Amino acid sequence: MQNSELSQTYKEYLLILKECSPYDFSEYSDNSIDRRIQKIMHDYQLSMHELIHKTRTDAEFVEQVVEAITVNTTELFRDPQVWNQLRQKVLPVLKNHPKINIWHAGCSTGQEVYSLIILLDYLNLLDKADIYATDISKKAIEHAKRGTYRYSFNYEKYLSNFNGVFEQSDTPDIKKYFSINEAKDTLSVKPEFLGKVKYITHDLVKEGLPFYNKFDLIFCRNVLIYFNGALQTKIVQRFHDNLFPGGSMVLGSHETLNGFFKTKFAKNGPVYARTNTFHFKY
Amino acid sequence: MQNTDFKIIVMGGSAGSFSVVSGILANLNRDFKIPIVLCLHRLKHVRSGLVEGLSLKSAIQVLEPNDKEKLQYNRVYLAPANYHLFLELDGSIALSTEESFNHSRPSIDHTLSSAAYVYREKVLGVLLTGANKDGAKGMKDIADKKGFTIVQDPATCDIDTMPKSALQLFDPNLVLSPKEIVQYLNSLPQ
Repeated sequence: MQNSELSQTYKEYLLILKECSPYDFSEYSDNSIDRRIQKIMHDYQLSMHELIHKTRTDAEFVEQVVEAITVNTTELFRDPQVWNQLRQKVLPVLKNHPKINIWHAGCSTGQEVYSLIILLDYLNLLDKADIYATDISKKAIEHAKRGTYRYSFNYEKYLSNFNGVFEQSDTPDIKKYFSINEAKDTLSVKPEFLGKVKYITHDLVKEGLPFYNKFDLIFCRNVLIYFNGALQTKIVQRFHDNLFPGGSMVLGSHETLNGFFKTKFAKNGPVYARTNTFHFKY
Repeated sequence: MQNTDFKIIVMGGSAGSFSVVSGILANLNRDFKIPIVLCLHRLKHVRSGLVEGLSLKSAIQVLEPNDKEKLQYNRVYLAPANYHLFLELDGSIALSTEESFNHSRPSIDHTLSSAAYVYREKVLGVLLTGANKDGAKGMKDIADKKGFTIVQDPATCDIDTMPKSALQLFDPNLVLSPKEIVQYLNSLPQ
């Protein structure tokens, strides 16, 4: 079969998935979604015909498909220089705000949610923070709520990221935030920090948001790269509408906005500040 | 007759490849037009500095692309640390944080295979020195689509696991030393 025909078949599959489940991946970026579907067919040893049949008849399987399509890569303080910028430039501006509303859109298993909590605590801002975190994957949300990660796999990397975020003379003790159990090979966020977050399973692509707040900060790191241009524009517009003027949106370190948004955001590295345009939506 | 009208050059390497790539970029013609996409494994804790290091001597501009950036002439695109880099049908680059492949992110196989899929006989693949087998399968994909393949001569490699894995999978068009690779590239019609 020709590549283009195959790609067409994947598109048809996504329409069937949309029809018989609450999930709509039809505007995901072609190349990446095709690859994910190929992987599912390979892992479950299914032909396209069998995949379609199972998708139509097995609701539990659909959940597994969603887990397999979504990418759950995240780490504590991924790209330390970005977090350093947040610590020095972005978060201090919020010091005089009575409340700080934060939304992690596509929070995956929560490592960056806790990274920000650590920074907020470090800057004495945690008490006034209202933190929401959403992800399409139920499994990822459950994992994020537990805040427990593999110790041996992560600790060295986490510690080096952590140290890259703070001044050497003023680096907080990572053990203030995590308890380590080497026997169980776990690194766990301490309960007093776990409770600070409201986690909600939510598909960013669907209309409507699970809250009414506007936000000072929206994190959406390495999520938009999986969407096609039209969907990216729609989602970024939604972020824009839900940010306070001057509020910031933080993207992945190699994500940029298309030209449409040039006047709506001021860019400083991967941090985009909503500009004060005249047409406020409220 | 082998096609030499390339739209893109994709180059992969791992252990020992920094000095090889740096040498190649330093000796390219300044007006070398065909976009070059580099996928190099990095040490886990040395995430930054590679683009700066390569830029020091390079004859043409080296940059780490953003997601959905379009390829341009006379540029070298380096896969950013911790992202896979794919080529897309519309001539752009796509980045992804999907799981590591061959214990690697970026994975050379991912970059090379996507180049083979998109550019077919218009891609030139180059595989350099390295300590694992990542890249071998991607090179074979390029060869299967009638693209042109060059593997660094294992005798000139710091660590020859990567080129040898490729040589086990298929017969490349050329097996060359780094110096010969530069000569070949500079001889291409622009």
